[in-house]
Amino acid sequence: MLSRLICYIKGYLRIQIAGYSTERFLNACRHRGIYLWGLQAVSGAYEMNISISGFRKLKPIIRKTGTKVTILKKSGLPFYLFRYRKRKLFFAGAFFFVFLIFWMSHYIWNIDITGNKSRTDETLLEFLEEKSVRNGMAKSDVNCQRIVKDIRKEYDDIIWVSASIRGTRLIIQVKENEDSPAVSADPKEAAEPGGAVQPVDIVADRSCTIVSAIVRNGLLQTKIGAKVKKGDVLVSGQVPVNNDAGEVTGYQYHVSDADIIGKTKIKYKDSCSNTYIEKENFDVCKKQYSLSLGNIRFSFGGIKNDYEHFTMYGEQGQLKFFDNFYIPVFWWSREAIPYTPHKKQHEKEEIQQILTERFVRYCEDLEKKGVEIIENDVKIYTGQDESEAKGSLTVRMPIGKEKSSKLLEVPEQKEDEGKETGDEVDGNDGDDH
Amino acid sequence: MNGVCMKAKRQVSAREEHSLKNRLSELSELPKDVVLGIPMLTMVGQMELNIENYRGIIEYTDCLIRIHTKDGQIRICGKHLKVDYYTNDEMKVTGHIISIEYVGLSVPD
Repeated sequence: MLSRLICYIKGYLRIQIAGYSTERFLNACRHRGIYLWGLQAVSGAYEMNISISGFRKLKPIIRKTGTKVTILKKSGLPFYLFRYRKRKLFFAGAFFFVFLIFWMSHYIWNIDITGNKSRTDETLLEFLEEKSVRNGMAKSDVNCQRIVKDIRKEYDDIIWVSASIRGTRLIIQVKENEDSPAVSADPKEAAEPGGAVQPVDIVADRSCTIVSAIVRNGLLQTKIGAKVKKGDVLVSGQVPVNNDAGEVTGYQYHVSDADIIGKTKIKYKDSCSNTYIEKENFDVCKKQYSLSLGNIRFSFGGIKNDYEHFTMYGEQGQLKFFDNFYIPVFWWSREAIPYTPHKKQHEKEEIQQILTERFVRYCEDLEKKGVEIIENDVKIYTGQDESEAKGSLTVRMPIGKEKSSKLLEVPEQKEDEGKETGDEVDGNDGDDH
Repeated sequence: MNGVCMKAKRQVSAREEHSLKNRLSELSELPKDVVLGIPMLTMVGQMELNIENYRGIIEYTDCLIRIHTKDGQIRICGKHLKVDYYTNDEMKVTGHIISIEYVGLSVPD
């Protein structure tokens, strides 16, 4: 394939050799290093392909061997260009095309984001748009380090970002923090500009019975086996400082950190219609193809039809050369297939299977989140029009969400003791560490 | 009579030289086509034949190609024979190959 392309670019001739010692001609060509290909014997003569430079060296060989050479066909780019040398617009167009490709290669035409799971591409693209990073911007204006810093600053759950330019593509790779999904609701709240820590509590996000609690930071406000309601403080971010008399003289502020497991019930309800629509497709298929360059859009064909029901499929893409050279030309293809809807009834077993599958998937999702299912009394109830699976699951699951705590007031004390206790606070603080 | 004797002697010495080179190539584990300069034919099915180490084409028609090599001739018979390329080192014959025959090559005793 490549050698054929090179031959085409360099240009070649199809010649016919006739005469007495044609074999000698072939051997002489070989001896002089003239490349011959596509050799064929045709009624006492030979036809073959020869390069232009090889053809120029033929004269002494022809004289020596006494053969006659006839040119049958001239192929390749040099002949093509020579034939159309008077078509100035064609050459102008070709040059313009090359210039256009060269010029367009200086811009970003595709932003590719990989590695994002919880944040969608659209969210990140919108954020980049705000920072004036968009499709169609000049490559020289792209500051990859700036992009990386901006993304890291905006999103706390993105722990690693890489931005690079390849061809006309801006490739942004991100890595999200998968270990601790619970991110502080507003990290700015936790630390003030001055550096002083504001207390953050852990509160129950659902009613449950506490099974286990491991506290790393803060003070546990509940007991194992205790029943808590939604909103109850489980771990307080304000740790009291007592004086020698056991009186509270102040509070140390912490951002609470704890693993609390609670036993609770989760309600499950899922329903499924007993009927479904089966589509019977017609043999008609309406297709539409579109091509757009910037705001200009060309469409071929149409999907308009008089049928009441039809299914529409669509596909969209961007033109590119090789892997990384995207150009701002988009294509669409849409097709509409009309159908007749038939209402059909599910079998009882089928409904049971559908609901069971959905429930199993729900349980698997829960287990992925670290929820342990202890008891399950979900049952399937079949109705006339609709069937449903409902019941409750007894589970052991991580409990608690962060919430900035209400500041507690220090109990009033006698004035002369106030000074002393103030000193002791510092003293206690030193001992603690 | 003397002439015949001379020819026989030359043939014998050529054969000795051949066997000496042969042994040398066997000892040194060098490929024989390089050391002895003998033709190398590579066939793909019945439709493609690559030939290396040849001296030239003696005859070429649609159904017969005779190739001159160091030790003699190779006759390739077939149908619709075509030479895909013909260079100093290698040639490729395509078409339907029926037979390959070695003509005039010395047969070792």
